[in-house]
Amino acid sequence: MSSETGAAVLRLSNGREHRGRLIGANSYRSGEMVFSTGMVGYSEAITDPSYFGQILVFSYPLIGNYGIPSWGSRGIEALEPGQQPDLPRGFESGLAHAAAVVLTTDSDEVFHWNSYQNLDRWLFDHGVPGIIGVDTRDLIHSIRSTPQLLGKIIPDEVAELREKADKTAFFDPGHNEIVSRVSVDTPRRFGRGKKRVAVVDCGVKWNILRQLLDAEIEIELVPFNHDLSSVDCDGWLFSNGPGNPENTSGLIDRVGALLGQDRPILGICLGHQILALAAGAKVRRMTYGHRGHNQPVYQVGTKRGYITSQNHGYVVEEESLPNGWEPWFRNANDETNEGIRHTSKPFRSVQFHPEAAGGPRDTNWVMHEFVKEIFETR
Amino acid sequence: MKDNKRANIIQPDIPKKVLLLGSGGLSIGQAGEFDYSGTQAVKALLEEGCEVLIVNPNIATVQTNPIEGVKVFLYPVEPHWVEKVLEQEKPDAIVAGFGGQTALNCLLALEDQGVLKKYNIENLGTTTETLRLTEDRDLFARTMEKIGIPIPPSRACTDLETALKAGDEIGYPVIARAAYALGGLGSGFADNAKELETLVTTALVDSPQVLVEKSLKGWKEVEYEIMRDSFENSITICNMENFDPLGIHTGDSIVVCPSQSLSDDEYQILRNASLKMVDHLKIVGECNAQFALDPHSNNYYVIEVNARLSRSSALASKASGYPIAYIAAKVILGYSLLDLKNPVTGITYSFFEPALDYITVKIPRWDLTKFRGASRKLGSTMKSVGEVMAIGRTFPESLQKAVRMVTEDALGISSKPVLASAGDLEEPTDTRLFSVLEALRSGLTIDDIHKKTAIDKWFLHHLARIAKCEKELEDLGAGRHLSEVWRSIDADTWRRWKTLGMSDQQIASAASGGNIEGAKLEKLELTVRAARLAVGVKPVVKKIDTTAGEYPSPSNYLYMTYGGKFDDPLDSQIYMRSAMILGSGAYRIGTSVEFDWCAVTCSETMRERGWRSIIINCNPETVSTDYNNSDRLYFEELSMERILDIYQFENCGGVVTSMGGQLPNKLALGLASAGVRLLGHSAETIDMAEDRNKFSAMLDSIGIDQPRWVSATTKEDIEKFIEEVGFPVLVRPSFVLSGAAMAVATDEKSLKGCLTLADKVNKDHPVVISEFLMGAAEIELDGVARGGKILTAIVSEHIENAGVHSGDATMVVPAQNLYVETVRRVRKAGRLIAEKLGLNGPFNMQFLAKSNHIKVIECNARAARSFPFVSKVVGFNLARLSTQVMLGERPDLERLGEDDLNFVGVKAPMFSFKRLLGADPVLGVEMASTGEVGCIGTRFQDALLLAFEASGIKKPKKGILISIGSDVDRAKFLSVLPGLFDMGIPLYATHGTAKFFAKQGFDMHVLSRPEEDSEHPDVITHLRAGQSDFVINISRDLGRKDSSFGGDLRQSAIRFGASLITNVEKAIAFVESMAQSETFVDTHELLELPKFLGARHNSIDSDRAPLR
Repeated sequence: MSSETGAAVLRLSNGREHRGRLIGANSYRSGEMVFSTGMVGYSEAITDPSYFGQILVFSYPLIGNYGIPSWGSRGIEALEPGQQPDLPRGFESGLAHAAAVVLTTDSDEVFHWNSYQNLDRWLFDHGVPGIIGVDTRDLIHSIRSTPQLLGKIIPDEVAELREKADKTAFFDPGHNEIVSRVSVDTPRRFGRGKKRVAVVDCGVKWNILRQLLDAEIEIELVPFNHDLSSVDCDGWLFSNGPGNPENTSGLIDRVGALLGQDRPILGICLGHQILALAAGAKVRRMTYGHRGHNQPVYQVGTKRGYITSQNHGYVVEEESLPNGWEPWFRNANDETNEGIRHTSKPFRSVQFHPEAAGGPRDTNWVMHEFVKEIFETR
Repeated sequence: MKDNKRANIIQPDIPKKVLLLGSGGLSIGQAGEFDYSGTQAVKALLEEGCEVLIVNPNIATVQTNPIEGVKVFLYPVEPHWVEKVLEQEKPDAIVAGFGGQTALNCLLALEDQGVLKKYNIENLGTTTETLRLTEDRDLFARTMEKIGIPIPPSRACTDLETALKAGDEIGYPVIARAAYALGGLGSGFADNAKELETLVTTALVDSPQVLVEKSLKGWKEVEYEIMRDSFENSITICNMENFDPLGIHTGDSIVVCPSQSLSDDEYQILRNASLKMVDHLKIVGECNAQFALDPHSNNYYVIEVNARLSRSSALASKASGYPIAYIAAKVILGYSLLDLKNPVTGITYSFFEPALDYITVKIPRWDLTKFRGASRKLGSTMKSVGEVMAIGRTFPESLQKAVRMVTEDALGISSKPVLASAGDLEEPTDTRLFSVLEALRSGLTIDDIHKKTAIDKWFLHHLARIAKCEKELEDLGAGRHLSEVWRSIDADTWRRWKTLGMSDQQIASAASGGNIEGAKLEKLELTVRAARLAVGVKPVVKKIDTTAGEYPSPSNYLYMTYGGKFDDPLDSQIYMRSAMILGSGAYRIGTSVEFDWCAVTCSETMRERGWRSIIINCNPETVSTDYNNSDRLYFEELSMERILDIYQFENCGGVVTSMGGQLPNKLALGLASAGVRLLGHSAETIDMAEDRNKFSAMLDSIGIDQPRWVSATTKEDIEKFIEEVGFPVLVRPSFVLSGAAMAVATDEKSLKGCLTLADKVNKDHPVVISEFLMGAAEIELDGVARGGKILTAIVSEHIENAGVHSGDATMVVPAQNLYVETVRRVRKAGRLIAEKLGLNGPFNMQFLAKSNHIKVIECNARAARSFPFVSKVVGFNLARLSTQVMLGERPDLERLGEDDLNFVGVKAPMFSFKRLLGADPVLGVEMASTGEVGCIGTRFQDALLLAFEASGIKKPKKGILISIGSDVDRAKFLSVLPGLFDMGIPLYATHGTAKFFAKQGFDMHVLSRPEEDSEHPDVITHLRAGQSDFVINISRDLGRKDSSFGGDLRQSAIRFGASLITNVEKAIAFVESMAQSETFVDTHELLELPKFLGARHNSIDSDRAPLR
């Protein structure tokens, strides 16, 4: 526990305040309050670009036990042409994307064989503030009972940050275009293979890339606002990402234009919502999303279920699916849509994360099937 | 496209009649967890409209309650008895997955014998084919190899020679494991060929196969609990990480749930492996997988898979809140996990993986000091007799809670250095946890300790924080007046201490430098409490809801923690009255499943009478800690501090301390003086019954005799007393460091021996010496009184003469050998004592009787071990009646007459000496049994044979070895010798015994002592060769270790798998019964345990009453 640090306040848009102590960066942040019930996988979550603009509350009271692995990565941003990226396990992107984290306790001393530094230090290095000493279970009750609860993390001992917090409105990622903040700005090509998949980067998680690279597929990583008609590839993957799928600067239309072709498509999370919107379906914001490692889905029309890793606040309205599309997966608890597929073309998408990291790997087969199809095409 | 939401719920064909196999009497490795699993299974089956048959001789369990829809057969879980039930009842299906290894072995035997086929019985759940595969280590290894799951290098061996060869090939150290064995019996580590030889020789006695494999000492041990349905859907309920690295049996390990030191990658790699295995094995229902994980990489091995409910699954169920056994029962009936609601939330489904937002710590309860000679070293054979689980939101909080739960008098992990034993950092014993703290205190670093113990540094680091806190308190209190110290502490500091799991007493003790103990410390505790509450620091109540708060849950499964600031929203249902029931805590020698039965019955009765029942207990193996047996369940410490916290939070109407055995009973007086209202017996009653002086004076005042006794503080006191009463005497030191506390002294020499056991005899630590009656019958009176008047009481008799602890004695209802006049006197004395004590609730009295003269040994003003046995045999629930009295009702009933019963009940003890090599398996005044069974029969002999068989005493087939120490006992035994000879089995005897019997005309094969140079074969070799499978050994001395020979003989009998009887009355009763029952199994007519009388009525005026 970082006993040296100062006080911090978590102020919520419902008027409540939680007091605790600051860890990580000494800075002010605001965002949407979300919680994850995953008991492991904190470094994967914090670096998941889908958490951009969100203050991530961990329900598990002991976070940071196994530390943070060595970083030392070139990632993708700094990739020179011809270079291969180094995508170290434990991270899902090259940055800590969550706006801030809220914890009950952290672990200041770490001993895991693969650990390089503790959570506090790592957050500090990456400019992310955190608050510890909060009753996260109680906070989750609030998040549960308040639709779209927003929050601010305020280091209490810096007067100017307190003033800034008072003057600034709550940041709502749902009302802002934020994909541009997490997408690459120019296309990158890496990996070696006989087939090439164009990954439309809305904030892609590294494990999606890892799994394609492992399958010996070359990746063309293109920005979310890229002209897709000019891309030469054997298949498409629309990645996960943060925020409102309708705030993606024309991406829906660009994807819509691809639906005339026959190359395989896989959409994941935000990519699933974009594909659905492009097909003509509707998407709505959920009261509180699905986040964590224990979300059950079942394949529609079967008795087969899978435990999935999820992180989303928007959902495809299944009733709005046009002809030619069918529901593929549903959430076993609330029956919301978790995946769709085209009835004749090799187009499909899933709301959950088949690539996992963190979380269960039960639906890796969705990735494998996509890869198989890529190799079978043409 | 727009299909109906959710594919149609599949409604399986439910079998009409299902037979559920139980696990029998509690023993090490197979304990209360199977009452939990069986009871949940019964509930699930009844809900589906099944008629349920239970075969289980464990009469003290909740699952053997003869409730509506359930037929209970109190028979040994052996194929020949189960077949009789199948033949008579013709069920459609059989279920073995809820009765541990015993049930599983029985199922496989039934299949082998073609019985299942003969009666066309379907086996529900995982197929026998898979069960055999997981049990056969070689087959299992090959299967795992096939699907790419790494297994430790190993060889399956069926003889010593191949085992030694395997040891050489794999390289030492190796571990040897016996196949088809529960609790790792016959397993161990070997550093060289010689050690391996010893291990394998023992293991091959019980098991046809031994596995020799690579030792992974120091690796992390991680378990996953998995559920799979017949639609191929599988989930892991949770994982668990052992605090102790691989090398200590998981039943003897401290275990945390969920894992703490595993990264997401490691967690998922092992989870994936678990799912892959259950899929390949086509498990249906519950399954447990154990892994070894390299502490320096992602490498792992699978150690074993248990395709059934286990101790770990009971723990996982309590740790995660997921009702594993209940859901498993539905799944084996053919339901899909996707269609079963999660009963904890009521809105989500069972197909999900629980998210925990707390950490649980399980600590085993060992009672190794109770077994004379037992080694305290821990290894791959399980030795613990029970366990506790603590819930908190930091590791130190949960750990310290667990330490207090499992060790009476421990204030926490600190403050009791006396518990640590030297040298056990490297060679773990039952006190290693304390030694680690002691090492930290003495300046060893985390790295030093990690090197010695291989315990993960993450855990050690938290232990160091506790040691640091202790030091802080010590410094704070040094040279200051403590009350002044408390006043100076701010809320944040209190909270910091409390989140480290420091109890108020522990804080007080540490601040006093450990100088304050006993009553003074208890007083100080209340001062600390007041100071803490004055600055507003108190624990909050949190729920266990399986979803970490993601979904609202009506769950009533609660714990208290300082790792939060707000209480969870709880149900707002209004109850007129509510009461707390204190459970038994960890199962240990003397406190077992019978007290859980009492607590569960008490809760049921309260709810039925419109009271809100609140259970406090901390034992994950119990039914009372199931989510639906009370209105609120606090999985919490049974300590004064926590009980007061809950009492004040709940605004309770009162507390029941008399249904959970001695632990809650001991808390009663302290609670009463802290202002808690006791339900039932008053504090004065309990005090008078418990305080030896007061009780004695009370008996004197009503003219009831008792064995003479003295509380001696000097040598002179002792000498004077012995001069008066003569030997033998019972010696009971009040302060004992280790070893058995009570012993019988037969002469000066043995008296000296008893007293050296006691560390010191002085004013503070007197020794109680009492007259010991030879040849007296022991009688118990179990009953319920109201306002000092006995409402009902049942007389039972011990088969053994006085001198055997009542928990180890064989008990009969109704009494078979008592004079009517003796019974009259016992009842009369009972009435007088009840009146004088003002008993107002359950009680148990123990008497000695010799030629109609009776003496009182003790009166327990609480429910006793014998309550479920007596209640079920007479068909009247004493625990229920007790509860009615405690709630202030006036049940109107006539006296019961157990002598009007249509059958006889016999309760027999169950021993676990097989796991405690080195311990002398002899009966004495200290209790040593780990469980019990109870059977009924139309004749006493039938009930006795059934109970003995159920407790593991098997009818001799090869040979009987008799070794009786004294001429008196030899003479007694003479009467049954003709019957023994008629059986036609070879009879062997040791020298003296053979000589005595030969003079009386009974010639037996003579065996010699191993050290004797004799022409006769020696007795140990004889036993090793398996020539006798039944041993009667009566030692000359009462309880005291007679000679090393007697001990060796008894231990050899146990080691080489012979049945052993060490008490002459018990031996005579067994031989008499056996001689009369040659065709016992074939001719026996099954008896079903009758339903309780008046279970749904206020009084027992039922027309079905077979009683007066």
